[in-house]
Amino acid sequence: MINFEEEIEKFQPSPEIEQAEDVINNNDLTDISDIIKMILKEKENTIHFDK
Amino acid sequence: MVCPNCQSNVSDKKNRCERCGQDLTLYRKIYRASNMYYNIGLEKAKVRDLSGAIIALRKSLELNKKNTNARNLLGLVYFETGETVAALSEWVISRHFCPNDNDADRYITAVQDNPTRLDALNQAIKRYNNALAYAKQGSEDLAVIQLKRVLQLNPHFIRAYHLLALIYMKTGDTEKAKKYLLRASRIDVSNTTTLRYMQELDQQPDSVKEGANGSDNENSSVMPVISYREDKPNVMAFVNLVIGVIIGIAVTAFLIVPSIKKKNVAGDNQDYVDYNAGLAALEEKEKAIANLQDENSQLQQKINELQAELDSIEIPEVNPEIYDPLFEASSLYMDELVKRERDRDYAQIAEILRTTDTSKYESDTALQLLDRLKQEIFPVVSKEHYENGHNLYSKYKYEEALDELFMAYNYDQTNVDAIYFIARSYHRLGDYESARTYYEIVVNDFPESRRYQDAVSFLESLPE
Repeated sequence: MINFEEEIEKFQPSPEIEQAEDVINNNDLTDISDIIKMILKEKENTIHFDK
Repeated sequence: MVCPNCQSNVSDKKNRCERCGQDLTLYRKIYRASNMYYNIGLEKAKVRDLSGAIIALRKSLELNKKNTNARNLLGLVYFETGETVAALSEWVISRHFCPNDNDADRYITAVQDNPTRLDALNQAIKRYNNALAYAKQGSEDLAVIQLKRVLQLNPHFIRAYHLLALIYMKTGDTEKAKKYLLRASRIDVSNTTTLRYMQELDQQPDSVKEGANGSDNENSSVMPVISYREDKPNVMAFVNLVIGVIIGIAVTAFLIVPSIKKKNVAGDNQDYVDYNAGLAALEEKEKAIANLQDENSQLQQKINELQAELDSIEIPEVNPEIYDPLFEASSLYMDELVKRERDRDYAQIAEILRTTDTSKYESDTALQLLDRLKQEIFPVVSKEHYENGHNLYSKYKYEEALDELFMAYNYDQTNVDAIYFIARSYHRLGDYESARTYYEIVVNDFPESRRYQDAVSFLESLPE
């Protein structure tokens, strides 16, 4: 049984066109390649630090 | 392939970047996986499983954010579900990663080039947000009004369908809720929210039905089964039929028949009135015709009078031929002038001029020319006729002499010699009255002439 109060809370306001710039800027564009690169960089730094 | 480490182009066959030495094997696998998710998203989008497509395309972009096709398709799917800002965002980002030869350009231009449509989409978003606020505040009626307007502005706004369906579900209007959910499902066939609400609605009627059967049988659409029983002949139906027929006859007799009669009488009266009016109109017309005939005869008389007047008026005809004698005389005169003076013969010209009817001459110039010719020619011709007459007189041919002398007198009224010898010829012929007349002309009109004395003498010698 759906609880209206709970259900309505799931609805979020839709961004307006004037807010499109904010939406684009706040978009998380990190992909797997970025993560891999970041991991590899961290790994390199760790090795360098250990040395 | 572009090396993710140094951004240089690398051949697809190589597993390591030639520039930075980065191992590309893993990246290749990631990109392949990204493309695979894009293909899944595309397949789902083609069958309107937009929610599934969004999930697949997002996964594709999580693996490779520069997968332009996946991002453009995600934008399209968002646009189809009414998420305009999300769609525009994806296309802008797509254009950022791939500025050249990108379909995103076309999509953005298509949206931006129609300001009316863009404004309608933005209005839809704003109204949706208002409706959501109203719904959260408990003002469902206002929210419904707003949401209906939202769906007019953007009929693909899935979120609005969901919210509207939810409100209707709350207010117990399951049919309307179902209607809007069905519409939403036509846009996005496998939307989780749509399916969940539908499932809720499918469950609801059963419970309602059970409750209804238990509480109130009158509202049930299922009729109770009753045992078979043969109908007895119904006498009352026959009695009712007879009563109905009697009432019908009575109504016809007392209401309809008098009404028809009254109508007929009224019609006759109307015909009589019409006939009288027609007769009066006919008399009036006859009177008018008589008046018009009188007027016509008067006008005809006037026409006859005017026609007679018109006929009496003589319009001078301008006939160029009337001037022909003058031209002929002039021509002959010019011919004679060319000759030597003694060879000139004006007799014919004089005859033409004498017999010319100048009464129809309207040209003053023609009349002047005629007078001039007469002045030039008539004295000469008169002299010639006088010479002839005088010769005949000398030969005692008085009657013949008179013809010539009268010709001379006619051509020149001042030829006193001609007048004198006319008188003399009459004198010789014994016609004293005529002789007196011409002697008196010489005496009275030409007292200075050399014939005066002789004329006086002969006049005195004439017997009384």
